[in-house]
Amino acid sequence: MDKIARIDMGAPGGPKVTVGGLGEYAGLGGRAMTSLVVAAEVHPLAHPLGAENKLVIAPGMLSGTTGSMTGRLSVGCKSPLTGTIKESNAGGQAAQVLARLGYAAVILEGKPEGDDLYKIIINKDGIQVIVDNSLKLLDNYPLVEKLRAEYGDKVAYMSIGSAGERKLLAASIACTDPELRPTRHCGRGGVGAVMGAKRVKAIIIDDAGMKMRPPKDPDKYRDANRKFVEGLRKHPVTGEGLPAYGTNVLTNVLNEAGGYPSYNFKDGQFAGSNNLSGETQAALEIQRGGLATHGCHRGCVIQCSGVYNDKDGHYLTKQPEYETVWSHGGHCGIDDLDTVAHLDFLDDNIGVDTIEMGVTIGVAMDAGIIEFGDKAGAIRLVEEVQKGTPLGRVLGSGAAITGKVFGVERVPVVKDQALPAYDPRPIQGIGVTYATTTQGADHTAGYAIATNILKVGGDVDPLKPEGQVELSRNLQIATAAIDSTGMCLFIAFAIMDQPETFQALLDMLGSFHGITMTGDDVVALGKKVLSAERDFNTRAGFTKHHDRLPRFFYNEPVAPHNQVFSVPDEELDTLFNW
Amino acid sequence: MNNPHQDRLVLTMAASQISEFYQLLQRGVVVPCRVGCPLGELLTDQWGIAADYVTERVTTVFLDHRAIDDVSTAMVKGGATIALSGAMPGLVGATMRRGGYYAAMRGAMTHQQEGDESDNQEAWVRLKLFNLLLPELGPGFLRRGLRMDGTELADFLRSKPDGFWQGCSAIVWNGQTVDTDRLMLYNGLNGSSSVFLTVTCEDNP
Repeated sequence: MDKIARIDMGAPGGPKVTVGGLGEYAGLGGRAMTSLVVAAEVHPLAHPLGAENKLVIAPGMLSGTTGSMTGRLSVGCKSPLTGTIKESNAGGQAAQVLARLGYAAVILEGKPEGDDLYKIIINKDGIQVIVDNSLKLLDNYPLVEKLRAEYGDKVAYMSIGSAGERKLLAASIACTDPELRPTRHCGRGGVGAVMGAKRVKAIIIDDAGMKMRPPKDPDKYRDANRKFVEGLRKHPVTGEGLPAYGTNVLTNVLNEAGGYPSYNFKDGQFAGSNNLSGETQAALEIQRGGLATHGCHRGCVIQCSGVYNDKDGHYLTKQPEYETVWSHGGHCGIDDLDTVAHLDFLDDNIGVDTIEMGVTIGVAMDAGIIEFGDKAGAIRLVEEVQKGTPLGRVLGSGAAITGKVFGVERVPVVKDQALPAYDPRPIQGIGVTYATTTQGADHTAGYAIATNILKVGGDVDPLKPEGQVELSRNLQIATAAIDSTGMCLFIAFAIMDQPETFQALLDMLGSFHGITMTGDDVVALGKKVLSAERDFNTRAGFTKHHDRLPRFFYNEPVAPHNQVFSVPDEELDTLFNW
Repeated sequence: MNNPHQDRLVLTMAASQISEFYQLLQRGVVVPCRVGCPLGELLTDQWGIAADYVTERVTTVFLDHRAIDDVSTAMVKGGATIALSGAMPGLVGATMRRGGYYAAMRGAMTHQQEGDESDNQEAWVRLKLFNLLLPELGPGFLRRGLRMDGTELADFLRSKPDGFWQGCSAIVWNGQTVDTDRLMLYNGLNGSSSVFLTVTCEDNP
């Protein structure tokens, strides 16, 4: 990965491609690349859908290699949903293929005049930008089918559905999985709207004729990767729980803990939770001839995904993840997996973030547009988004907009991004992350539970009750670093518990790049990324007053623990002190 | 614990059909035990779960919806709800882990023991099994038996496909073998407020 492609979509005479060296961005990947480019090159007060914004697409530091779990693709920009800097990442094949073509980043710049729609073809011969208005308003599944007829099955596709074209604030960017289904999404923050604003409908990435990226020390890299894979396979979470049940294994536990927000955060438990659980879902998938274990990209050994078939045994969607099952399920008072799976398919097809969409439907239910538990009504509302009706455009712009339009007081957002599936009142520490992350409410911003072994922030007493901010800070630093490697965040479980697996990861990074990598280097990278993001947000007008949860979390105790969020503002304000 | 007014149902199932009962176990079933003892003692001494297994596999434990760090000090009362889970993904999964590094993030969800309550009485508790523990511990609890509302059990059994019944080699209702007429069984269940269900696996009696 020794080059960066810049595609000026607004260049006089039509889009212009420039390929150059890495310059000051040498050695970066994933979130580090997207955030440092956006922080340095995008005016913080730019309109997110305007020509000044940039959409940065970056594989991780180890993507395109033979290393396992290296297939995350980061997309960054100024977010139209939050107004903050945004990094959103996904699995699928795109990162591996783009990296093998040698691109450390592809940056979409400018904005074309007129309403022509473009596709971008990236292969070993270079980059072409072609007008293709036949793709207009196609959703992701039919879009990819149409593109496959022309470009075949040995490529990776990135695309936006109708939501992205309409520049809806919940719009995602889809990446195809190994079966070329558009199921893996850079979902959060409206990155699909930015791609739509630049009039780019699809990116076809073809690595024919290219080889795996070679490590500087092949023997050491191979050995480190072997140990890394062994560590993942022997750990009960990455080797057993996630492969068997997927992330939805969390439903039962969160519900039992009273941290499962239901009915738009009015309750901490949901009576129908075991109808939605990962255990129930996996059994149903197997019974219907689908798959309970499936990887979202080649080289994944955790295989936390699956294939969800309908009652007749036909493919309906990929295995919905925990956050999706929650947002369209318990959050909306719906306890039917088939309904949730249908909604997941619609979200992927239209190209919207499943968390944002589900939370928005719950807010719409609170507004009385439909009743909680109305399965057909929930499907009908998402179909409104697909049709682009005025109501659909409101809903497709997310929970914050929908709450304002319909006068709802209880709107679970931070910086206008919907909260995910963990109630911050009983789980105060995650509330700290929701409030303070540079990305708007995002559980994955503080997900890398390997801070103890990374020694981020030194040794923290895990049972110290006042340590919520310190824990969240360390988690956010570790997460920013892992997001930069291109590694799936789920590796964190194994590296948290198994020092030899963490060492194997360091050895993979070190032997690939011909350097010696330590835990301190990883921490320094995480801090560098977060500092750049925080600085961008400050210049964009964000202050400590934006680092707060909605007031109802402070005022409304939630059952069964009857707690409110109680971490003092003054403590939240210290999170970025390092 | 004996209950003279309790109906009893014994099913003998093929091993391949035991997983059909996991929906009940994750929802929660009522099982007998002696309470007033530490949870760890209940798991190992009464329910026969190996101590090493509890340490290594039962990594997430809830008592009355509160996460447990130390099973040797958490006391079980009659009517308690006990949920057992294997290791969980995610930050919240790590947070809920017994004695885990991120336990501080739970706040008030952590179980706090109040008094020793060592009354050592026979009682019922509600047990829930999740994820990896379902196939590993589920058959043992089904074999030891659990109490259900008759109507709830009838609804559960009615929902089962033909394959389930093809894998059922014996149905014994209050000591009487039920042949092919399951209607009689359903009628009996619907009239019962309390059924003690035992499920044995014919491949592993």
